[in-house]
Amino acid sequence: MSAAPAVKFLNPHAEVSRRGLALHASINAAGGLEDILRSNLGPRGTLKLLVSGSGELKLTKDGAVLLHNMEIIHPTAKIIARAATAQDDECGDGTTSVVLLVGEILRQAERPLVDGIHPRHLVDGIELARTELLRSFIPRVQIAVDRNDREQLGRAVRCALATKLSDDALVAHISDLVADAALIVHHDNEPIDLFMVEIMTIESRTAMHSSLVRGLVLDHGTRHPDMPKDLENAYVLTCNVSLEYEKPELGGGFFYSSAGQRERLAQAEREAVAHQVEKILRLKRQVCDEVGTKAGFLIVNQKGISPDALEMLAREGIMALRRAKRRNMERLVLACGGTAVNSLDDLNPSVLGKAVRVFEETHGEDKYTFVEAPPTARSCTLVLRGSDKQTLQQLKDAVRDGLHTARHFLDDAYVVPGGGAFECAAYQHLQAYSKTVQGRARLGVQTFADALLVIPKTLAENSGLDAQETVLQMIEAHEAGRTVGLDAHSGELVEPLGRGIVDCCRPKRHALSLASTITTQLLLVDELLKAGRDTRSK
Amino acid sequence: MLGFARPGASGLLKEGGQHFYGIQEAVLKNIEACKVLASIVRTSYGPNGRNKLISNRLNKIFITSDAATIVRELEVVHPAAKMVVAASQAQERDVGDGTGLVLVLAGELLNQAADLLHQGLHPSEIVKGYKRSCEEALKIMEEGTLQVRRVDDLRDAAAVAEALEACLASKHWGAEAFLARLVAEACIQVLPGYFDGSAVNDVPLAEFADDEETRERLRRFNIDNVRVVKVLGGSLSESSLVRGTVLVRDTEGTVKHIKDAKVALFTNDVDTLQMETKGTVVLHSGKELESYTKTEEQILGERIRKLSEAGVNVVVTGGKFGEIALHYLEMHGIMAIRCPSKYDLRRVVRATNAVAVLSLGDTPPSLEEIGSCDEVSVEERGSTKMIVFGQRSDATRISTIVLRGATQNLLDDVERAIDDAVHMFKVLACRDPRLVAGAGALEMELASRLHDFADRAKGLDQLPMQHFAEALKIIPRTLAENAGQNTTEVMTRLYAAHRQGHSHAGVDIRLESGTMSTGSEARGIINANEYKIWDSLAVKNAAIRKAVDVACTILMVDALIMAKQVSGAGSGHG
Repeated sequence: MSAAPAVKFLNPHAEVSRRGLALHASINAAGGLEDILRSNLGPRGTLKLLVSGSGELKLTKDGAVLLHNMEIIHPTAKIIARAATAQDDECGDGTTSVVLLVGEILRQAERPLVDGIHPRHLVDGIELARTELLRSFIPRVQIAVDRNDREQLGRAVRCALATKLSDDALVAHISDLVADAALIVHHDNEPIDLFMVEIMTIESRTAMHSSLVRGLVLDHGTRHPDMPKDLENAYVLTCNVSLEYEKPELGGGFFYSSAGQRERLAQAEREAVAHQVEKILRLKRQVCDEVGTKAGFLIVNQKGISPDALEMLAREGIMALRRAKRRNMERLVLACGGTAVNSLDDLNPSVLGKAVRVFEETHGEDKYTFVEAPPTARSCTLVLRGSDKQTLQQLKDAVRDGLHTARHFLDDAYVVPGGGAFECAAYQHLQAYSKTVQGRARLGVQTFADALLVIPKTLAENSGLDAQETVLQMIEAHEAGRTVGLDAHSGELVEPLGRGIVDCCRPKRHALSLASTITTQLLLVDELLKAGRDTRSK
Repeated sequence: MLGFARPGASGLLKEGGQHFYGIQEAVLKNIEACKVLASIVRTSYGPNGRNKLISNRLNKIFITSDAATIVRELEVVHPAAKMVVAASQAQERDVGDGTGLVLVLAGELLNQAADLLHQGLHPSEIVKGYKRSCEEALKIMEEGTLQVRRVDDLRDAAAVAEALEACLASKHWGAEAFLARLVAEACIQVLPGYFDGSAVNDVPLAEFADDEETRERLRRFNIDNVRVVKVLGGSLSESSLVRGTVLVRDTEGTVKHIKDAKVALFTNDVDTLQMETKGTVVLHSGKELESYTKTEEQILGERIRKLSEAGVNVVVTGGKFGEIALHYLEMHGIMAIRCPSKYDLRRVVRATNAVAVLSLGDTPPSLEEIGSCDEVSVEERGSTKMIVFGQRSDATRISTIVLRGATQNLLDDVERAIDDAVHMFKVLACRDPRLVAGAGALEMELASRLHDFADRAKGLDQLPMQHFAEALKIIPRTLAENAGQNTTEVMTRLYAAHRQGHSHAGVDIRLESGTMSTGSEARGIINANEYKIWDSLAVKNAAIRKAVDVACTILMVDALIMAKQVSGAGSGHG
């Protein structure tokens, strides 16, 4: 740069790159990010080990987790990473695809740009291509599914999870759990609330011992050694009542002049709580005597319970949990029924929920309480187990994505063939479409079409196959009218739907539209400015 | 020129971090780190393993050959090595023993994998082969021929002690017989369902094992019920077992010995009642002040009198004794014990069957709440005073091993060994009573069979499967090496013995082994079964599984992205 750019007058320490250079920097950064994430794509992708500043380890195969935890400073890469994590927030899947697509579109665009095509024309073409895909291509290839088809749902979830976890048996196990969990909280004609699936991680045994509990698992236990630790057919009282002495809000004082008075005051303090507890005890006697069997009684309180109160409850054989989390109160009511009460004044049996079994599990210092609800439960808990923190974190991230996939399946009810078949078909569609486009925009359409092939290519690469050859075979098959995708495990080209390789439609749609939006924005950037501060003079 | 104009990945990320990609940079480096870790632990493996002296960052000194302790105090920082450490810690939590096996085996599996990588295999192929071999190994272990014994009757102290010996021998060779007996008796005493006063004791064994209810009760065997109290001085052989619990402290008052004790437990202070709200005493004259103190004393005196009338002669509190309270307790000849640890208090509860009451009120604890104990007395070991809650009968819910030893380090180390043994007892009682031949016999047998299995396998898997079998041999090899034997010779003989069908042949770790009468070709190896060297199947199973899992995970990592170390954080996580 011979002449100082104008911005230098405004801020002498600003960094600037312009025109060709700016675009080049963007393309480079997108390519760099693509290279990092490339090996993650698909079921045969490898793992990445992230070490945080404090030395914590994180093992992941999930693009979103990776992008979240890498400290990216490059402005273009940052934009891509943010957009991709937006994809994750919305869809829970397809993050890596977005990054790969963006990187590849920009890489493919480099050639026409060097040839002197104005970015504007490319952008027009890319936008045309996107509209074409969303308007006419996707409605053609998407396949409507039956929401209540448990098997289909399981398959969709399994395909999503296969790209996040590395063990096949584990993927099968976890996806079954996730699918069942989603069905428990799903109700026809209502948007699914994933929040009603609690995810509890317990450091014990192995990931294969993870399970689904119809009901709730709390990460604390009773605070009294004599309370029962195992109840069957229990009544559940969910409440938000303080069962400990609360200091009066008024700044009053207590005055006494003899030890007897003092004792009486102390006694009165305790009685206030005892009085409240009595109300619960009465209710307990009423319902449990009525049944006449060994019905148990569980209290889950959001506020505290004083040691005296615990003692009283323990004597009555009641299991009490204090300081439960706010969100668990809602879940508990959904799981066991009944209503959460805020006052003990008019307790009646109708506020009580029912639990089939309540028991405590102890691991070292940590206690977990399992509340197993009756089959009518509308809330459930995924209990994830693993021998160490990294495994659990990886599992938790994967389960989150799996639940999102299930949500799309149940909300949207459309799937598309996976294994790169969708992208290949889209490529073919755009090739045909580009012939109908007039002018220079056609180049943009072609750029977009070529870039789509990055997905099957990378899948093949990660499966240890020859990428070019595999993709060519795939295109040939598509041209012959057969929809084929890559089975990453066998390395063969197969008919994806028959093999249960399906993707939910919505994340795909989202990824396509997101990738094209970011690239069009990045292509139109002509200057990168970085404000600089005068640090040397200090 | 411009920070963001640099090509490649390095320009994208924050400066100061490190990143490694691919086989050369990431995978092989990770393997190297894990090998180093394994080589440190290896020399401490087995009965002849040498001790490590570790001074941790708090300058506490450890002398131990316990792998779990070594790696914990070493504060490993390398990410891949840290994962291996995590796996061994999971093993410790899970079954208590076999941590060394996880570390050594994982290190060797990775070592073998490095060979394969140099030959050009893809990590995912190695992982596939390893997993297949692992499944097969676990399947072979399920076969009857390798299981040499079952501990079915957990009441048989001699049988249990024999089963625990190998576990203790690998930590404290020489003392294993004595310690095993001690641990076995301690565990059996607190076994739920055996001595709970019920008649289970008379039930014949066959019926006993089939009873689902008892088995369920057995599962509740709680390792916390076997306590270890360390008293410096004397020698290890002076260690003893106490039925009941022991508090290492003196009583508060002068009462030091009580027979047929009735124990009242309070979690709060034994003093005048405390209030949550602050109050103010309003006094108008000196006379009122006098009467205030007097009424206070009277109330307390009255309460303690009632306590004494209820038959209580031992008072334990989790809080403090007020001076006046102590005075009255002395007056009634009641023993006063402070027990500041919540856990100790819980143990006293368990030992005496008392119920911990919150605080001393107007009404004394009821009959059900008062616990009983045959004898509560202050005993001296060396110059250490301890309060022993002893039960004469077998009906105790807690037992305590009082360890004696010349140095604190020794005591700590023996305690860790005992912990492992108690864990092993729990595994035998609750999970799996089956035992396999130790002394490297199991690993060698698996290796021998897996070689055959690999030969039958088709495709590229064969290579990693052969290497898996090779990796298993590290265990007998390490035992032989640590025993100072001619490793190559012993390994060859051992392998030959297994090929000939001696599936229990193991490494003879005694240096001068002239006992084997079968001739020179068998020198250095023994029949592990005859010598009663047994390991728990469940421990081996868990260890092999974990080692393979962690090795495979490390192999599947192809990139290592490290953020810049936050200053000060290094001391937190190492």
